[in-house]
Amino acid sequence: MTEKTTHYPAVRLDPVSVEIPKSARPDMLVPARVWADEELWKKAVSDRTLDQLVNVATLPGACGCVHAMPDAHEGYGFPVGGVAAFRARDGVISPGGVGYDINCGVRLLAADVGYGEMKQRLEPLVHDLSRAIPSGTGRGGALKLNVPELDRVLAQGCRSLVERGLATQEDLEHTEAEGSFATADPDKVSSRARERGKDQLGTIGSGNHFVEVQRVETIYDEEAAEALGLWKGQLTILIHTGSRGMGHQICTDYVRSMDAVMAHHGIKLPDRELACAPFASPEGKAYFAAMCAAANFAFANRQVITHAARQVFRRALGGSGDLRLVYDVAHNMAKLEQHGKQKLVVHRKGATRAFGPSHPETPAAYRSVGQPVFIPGSMGTASYVLVGTDEAFGLSFGSTCHGAGRAMSRTAAKKVKSGQEVRKDLERQGIVVHGSPGELAEEAPHAYKDVDRVVQVVHDAGLARKVARLRPVGVVKG
Amino acid sequence: MAWHRFLDHTSEITLHVGAADWPGLLAEAGLGLAELLLRGAVAAAPDPETGWRSLEVSSHDREALLVDWLNEIVYLAETRLWVPQEIEIEESSDTHLKARACGVTVEESPSLVKAATFHGLHVRDLAEGLDAEVILDV
Repeated sequence: MTEKTTHYPAVRLDPVSVEIPKSARPDMLVPARVWADEELWKKAVSDRTLDQLVNVATLPGACGCVHAMPDAHEGYGFPVGGVAAFRARDGVISPGGVGYDINCGVRLLAADVGYGEMKQRLEPLVHDLSRAIPSGTGRGGALKLNVPELDRVLAQGCRSLVERGLATQEDLEHTEAEGSFATADPDKVSSRARERGKDQLGTIGSGNHFVEVQRVETIYDEEAAEALGLWKGQLTILIHTGSRGMGHQICTDYVRSMDAVMAHHGIKLPDRELACAPFASPEGKAYFAAMCAAANFAFANRQVITHAARQVFRRALGGSGDLRLVYDVAHNMAKLEQHGKQKLVVHRKGATRAFGPSHPETPAAYRSVGQPVFIPGSMGTASYVLVGTDEAFGLSFGSTCHGAGRAMSRTAAKKVKSGQEVRKDLERQGIVVHGSPGELAEEAPHAYKDVDRVVQVVHDAGLARKVARLRPVGVVKG
Repeated sequence: MAWHRFLDHTSEITLHVGAADWPGLLAEAGLGLAELLLRGAVAAAPDPETGWRSLEVSSHDREALLVDWLNEIVYLAETRLWVPQEIEIEESSDTHLKARACGVTVEESPSLVKAATFHGLHVRDLAEGLDAEVILDV
């Protein structure tokens, strides 16, 4: 049973952050920082979020602070919404610090037409999207890969899709790491992981994954919106999914193998799900290479879905129309990054990289404003577009939150409203919904925190800057 | 008498299971997971081809064996579209199990569950048997 977190001494630093000092527990190596206003802090102490965050602060090689983002909630191992950095030289890498859905992430597509032009065609558009993009955990995609083809996707990610006509050079430039981690090694991916993933390219999966059609409701920053190619009333599509069974099995494989070798490395943990190994060890290197392969698979998955969405969109517009990729960001990753003079392995679990205008990895097209960041809310509320700040690099290792954050268990959510009631609520708001009653009940808006509040904390803290608010008009649930 | 129930968790599902002995606990945990996997499954039907399947798992301690056993079932559900309905543990120790199981096939993978995790994992010896909690990533 979920229990209230242990009481830790905590100091409010300002209206949007609280610190738990290193002295709060003898095994902490660094302090823990929670990005929250008073209301979100109450949520953070209502489950085991802080226990999990403090556990992360004990991992070898931890630097600076460990962070809980404003959307943080209890997960397993790391809290969801957790960020921690470990020295590459003598620190660890932890599969549990990345999670099972490696490179779960979001990408935003911007249409060249407004919602008004598509309003009458919205319902068939959403249903056509649901037919073209398989959902549900195990449903296979249209793209079947043989062994060499799968190896290419694992090694090259989105880059492998260009010659197949499924991706463009501009798509690559507008994807984190250009949709391809060169550090991936398909040989470190087990046959079981390959078997789970081989038919799943181009599929959403289940749980909180979705494809959402939206309209740009509010612009907060005209200059940044223009740089991102967004305008009020525009139709957009947000895609949220990850590496599917491929990533799930890679995490399972490496949690298991690291659990078996931690004693050899002299590592003792407060929670076995934090299983880890030195980044520089053979086990650490093998996991990093396999995780990067799963991340490439996830980038490719979202790209294949993008291709399907573009085809649907063109059909809806009688052969014209375009969906431009604004950006694609990862949520669940460990990345090797230079922070000051140190090379760090930055773990973001349910958190988004948010680099500012001056960072060399910010795409050239966005150097004037910063890397785009997307924070989806829930089906009935809103999603936000933000841009990263240079300030965030020093505040949170260049990270921000990844969503509204769950506030209620699935069981509790279903007790509040049935799937049919949720569907009717959404339809009353003019939202076209495609999803099973069970999924709709579990993922209902009341199961999540207030996304407006979460995003305001991010903005006020300087972790990212608000650009636009998007209102859902059509939802395809996983 | 073996039993299982599902406990609340903000974002995942906790499987709480109890039995008179270790083989019973393993079998009941498998059936608890199967119940979750079959929620909302399409066209579940008895598996006419395979009948009873042999399953075998090895790990380095008792808790890891329980997690690996559940992950074996997740893997079979997703790749073989097969979910056990009856489980007989033929041999078991803290580090190894052999089982036979018969189950149902499904049209689409029913796998709501991504994996069984080590988080908060425990197997406890009680006066009346054992119990265990495993958090499942969903």
